[in-house]
Amino acid sequence: MSATFLIPAIPNQNAWLSRALPTCAFSALMKDENKALAQGLQRRDPDLLDRLIEQYQFRLFRYLVYITGDRTRAEDFFQETWIRVLERGHQYDGKSRFEGWLFAIARNLVIDWQRQRKVQSLDALTDSEQAHPLQVKDERSASALQAVLNSEQDAQVQGALQQIPAIYREVLLLRFQEELQIDEIAGVLGTPPSTVKSRLYRGLEALRGTLEAGVS
Amino acid sequence: MSKNIHERAQQLISQERIERIPASENTWLAAHLQECDGCADFARKTSSALRSLQTIPIALPAGLAERTQFRVGLRAQQLRHHEPRRRALWIAAGISWATGVASAPYVWWLFAWLGEQTGVPKLVWEMGFGLWWAVPALIAAVVLLTEHEKQSGERYWLQRSQ
Repeated sequence: MSATFLIPAIPNQNAWLSRALPTCAFSALMKDENKALAQGLQRRDPDLLDRLIEQYQFRLFRYLVYITGDRTRAEDFFQETWIRVLERGHQYDGKSRFEGWLFAIARNLVIDWQRQRKVQSLDALTDSEQAHPLQVKDERSASALQAVLNSEQDAQVQGALQQIPAIYREVLLLRFQEELQIDEIAGVLGTPPSTVKSRLYRGLEALRGTLEAGVS
Repeated sequence: MSKNIHERAQQLISQERIERIPASENTWLAAHLQECDGCADFARKTSSALRSLQTIPIALPAGLAERTQFRVGLRAQQLRHHEPRRRALWIAAGISWATGVASAPYVWWLFAWLGEQTGVPKLVWEMGFGLWWAVPALIAAVVLLTEHEKQSGERYWLQRSQ
C-alpha cells in the first residue's frame, strides 16, 4: 500500500510568469527556455529529465487521473509517459510549449491502451466497477469547519466532473487547470481549434449545469 | 429587457473565459451585469465553477517522482548500451544500400547472364535480383523487431517487479 502526501493545487508557473512579464519579454524567455529544453532532451540529459519529472509531476499526474479516472492506472501511465519523453525527446522541436507536447504523449499512451482494450471512447476509460472515487483531501483549510466546507465543495466539483462526458472534461481541464491556449489544446488532442472551442463551450455549460443541479 | 440580451450576455460570459472578447463587448457586458441580477449570478456561478476546478488538490502518490526517475534512468542506460549497436546497424544498412544502388546495373547483367547460362525463366532471376536488393533491409528489420520485442519484455518485467 503506498502512502500518499498532498500537494495543494498550484497555478502553473508559466501562466504566472506570463502575467508578471510584458508579452514580448515573456515569449522570448519561453522561446529560449523551450529551445534549451529541446536540446537537453535531444542529448537525453539525465539531470534535465529528473528536473522535469519533479516539475511536472503534479500537473501530469492530475491530468492522467482525470482522463483515466483511476489513480493506479494514472501512476503507470505517468511512468510510461516519461519513458516516452526520454525515448522520443529528439522529436520535441522547442517551437511549442513543453507541457503541450508532454500531455499529448500522455494522452496518446492512454488512447493506445484504450485501443488495445477495444473500447470506443474516452468515457469507457472510467470503468464504473473499478473506478475509485478520486482521493481528494484538502490542506488549505485553517479550521475544522473550513476543512469540511472545502472538502464538500471539492467533492461536489469532483462529482460534477465525473458526470461530464470525457471529451468535455478533458478540454476543461487542459484549459482551466493546465491553462493551455486553445491552439495548444488542439495540438494535444489532434483536433482543429474550432472543435476545441465548441467542446469548451459545451463543457462549461455542462459543468455549470451539473454543479447547479448538485446544489439544488 | 429582451431575452436575447440575456442570452448574449451569458454567451459573452462564457466566451470571456474561453477566448477573449473585444473591449467594446467587455464594456457592454460590465454595464449589463451591473443592472441584471440574473446574469450577474450566472457570471458568479461560472467563476465559482472554474475556480473550484483550478483549486482541487490531488493526492500525489509518495515517491512517484523518485520511482519514475529510477525507471527513466534505467531505460537511459539501456538506450546508451544499445545505441552504438543500432548506429552501426544503420551505417551498415546505408553503406549496403549505396553500394547496392551503385552496383545495380552490373548485378542486373550478372543475374541476366546467369539466367541465360542456366536456362532459368526470366521471372525467377528477376525475383532473385529483387531479393538481393531486399536482403539488407530485411536483416535490419529483423534485428530492430527483435530488439523491440526484447524491450517490451523488459518493460513488462520492470512494471511487474515494482
